[in-house]
Amino acid sequence: MLSQRRRVLRWGAGALLAGVAGLAMPLRLLAAEWKKSAFTARDPKAALTELGIGNYTESREVLLKAPDIAENGAVVPIEVTSLLPNTSEILIVGEKNPVPLVARFIINPGMAPEISLRMKMAETGKVRALVKSGGNYYSSAKEVKITIGGCGG
Amino acid sequence: MADSIKVRAQMQGSGAEVRVLINHPMETGVRKDEKGAVVPAHFIQTLRITHNGNPVLESLWGVGISQNPYLRLKLASAKPGDKIGVAWEDNLGKKDATEVVVQ
Amino acid sequence: MNKALWAGLMLAILGSLAACQTGKDSAGPSPAPLALEGSAAPVPWKRYVVEPLGVRWPQTDWKSFNNLVQTASPPVGALPKIDGPIAGNAENGKKLVLDRSRGGGCITCHILGNTGSQPGNPGPDLSMIGAQRTPEWLFAQIWEPRLTNPQSFMPPWGTHGVFSVEEVRDMVAFLMTLKTPAEFKSDKENPNKRPAPVETRPNLDPTENPAAFIADKGAAAFRAAGPKGQACIDCHRDPAQAFAVWGAQMPSYEPRLDKVLGVEEFVTRHARATTGGEFPMQSETNLALAIYLRALANGQPIRVDTRSPGATAALARGQALMDKKVGQLNFSCRDCHDPERGGNHWFRGQYVSGLPNLLGHFPTWRTARGEVWDIRKRFQWCNVSVRANELPPDAREYGDIELALTTMNAGRKLSVPGIRH
Repeated sequence: MLSQRRRVLRWGAGALLAGVAGLAMPLRLLAAEWKKSAFTARDPKAALTELGIGNYTESREVLLKAPDIAENGAVVPIEVTSLLPNTSEILIVGEKNPVPLVARFIINPGMAPEISLRMKMAETGKVRALVKSGGNYYSSAKEVKITIGGCGG
Repeated sequence: MADSIKVRAQMQGSGAEVRVLINHPMETGVRKDEKGAVVPAHFIQTLRITHNGNPVLESLWGVGISQNPYLRLKLASAKPGDKIGVAWEDNLGKKDATEVVVQ
Repeated sequence: MNKALWAGLMLAILGSLAACQTGKDSAGPSPAPLALEGSAAPVPWKRYVVEPLGVRWPQTDWKSFNNLVQTASPPVGALPKIDGPIAGNAENGKKLVLDRSRGGGCITCHILGNTGSQPGNPGPDLSMIGAQRTPEWLFAQIWEPRLTNPQSFMPPWGTHGVFSVEEVRDMVAFLMTLKTPAEFKSDKENPNKRPAPVETRPNLDPTENPAAFIADKGAAAFRAAGPKGQACIDCHRDPAQAFAVWGAQMPSYEPRLDKVLGVEEFVTRHARATTGGEFPMQSETNLALAIYLRALANGQPIRVDTRSPGATAALARGQALMDKKVGQLNFSCRDCHDPERGGNHWFRGQYVSGLPNLLGHFPTWRTARGEVWDIRKRFQWCNVSVRANELPPDAREYGDIELALTTMNAGRKLSVPGIRH
């Protein structure tokens, strides 16, 4: 537990350090390309097909944590953990989103197959996580209900 | 110059937990502004995490990642003092990068 | 560096020190310089239209209803004369009780059997109402609930013109079909059993709270020279020490303006009088400075001074304003936030917190809105949500309510910026 004073000092300290830490790293060496056809596909299956993912197996070894009810669809916290050996990719799909493919992560050895992020959800629907292990894809999904607001219609 | 990235890398058990928060609008390209004009898409497409210079995570993102993207991950082999780099680039060619030391 | 330059520099430093108040004279601490003229917010105030994540503010002018400054709502009304039995189109009635576009519909506050999803619970469960009440009773209750119960906080849907006679008849026809208790697939569907959301995100962690980026801007603005050549830091040389408790002691009554100033308005008026910086309330720099300064008092117990006659009067006004019914929906602050009424209940899928505990985290990051709100913007959205015209952020009435709300939070620890949904 950090002391209150240290917490206080951290607030606003970033600006004072601005300019010290910049590192220009080229991003061209990525192992996979950002594929427009996949990231604009309107259908979950089509998006996966664009990435060359035809089939996947439902698996309990893909752990997907997401809230049962999310207070707003703008920021839905998601956590994916793979218990499968040699996990080399994690993908996130929001099945009801206008653009279902949310993210593709390519994992190199050294990183645990465990990732948390925050995603948008257009409406109540399933979030699907896919994991690549030994050349095959495994998946699990969870329904997330997006709450409906009160008076402010 | 790294103004857009907050990173923390802390030892947790035998590895390090890395948390990243990026200041970015992640515009979907469908939202309309006050005058009814479509706000052009503006979102991070690629993000890379490096450990002592070696890429450990390469991310490809779409518009479904929330505004101000957040990421938490674990590096099993990281040790105190190791360097963790974070770099992103968006669809407009803007980019930013920073590096922190594992604590 | 040559001697002439040195001398010039020394003179400049002395000059800058001379421009700062020492804070004490023979009569005790002198009041902080404030620009007393003009408004701290844009004039005329123009309602927000659309936010970063696309949420739109309604643009209706509700001038024929009360707001926090005017009294204009129609009085408790008599029922319209209706010939014959009260009957209507139940199918259309079902649409209306679920309609979110006109104040939320019945389901916002009532369980309606198995109709619709995520019902709210500030009002009674109506699942069996068709077996319990007559159409005439229901019509009267919807049209003007205050005839039956003057203390009712249900909106007077007819008197306030939200629904027409025909529409209320249709709603009654639908409600008369409700004769079966609600069955919920899980406790999470049931507002009486759904657990209250608990905010556990570590809001003071800069890798969690996007407001961290705005706090950075506040720290930078504090150190940036204004039009008169000086920065805040030139007088407040050790901000961590100078503002160690200040943020937890705001808002405060300002006799020179006879109103309560929160951190945000204080920043606007103080900067205008000192550095010449122009930071209107709810502008990015104003929020950034407010977060930066308020966060310096994080962990301090909230404690405001209400002993002076002016502050006592402001507190009394604020407490009275919290009971004022405003807007087409005719809700007071307490109607929605007092746990005896709507507070700590579900308004459909939205949990409305009870008083207190509504304040110690402002300015706060709103994940659903993608921006930081000061407490005054929160008040403005409350007003618009109940269909009342909002006030400018520097309105005296908002200051009074902020003071009243802050006294209810006395002793709680400041934790700024917060994160809320």
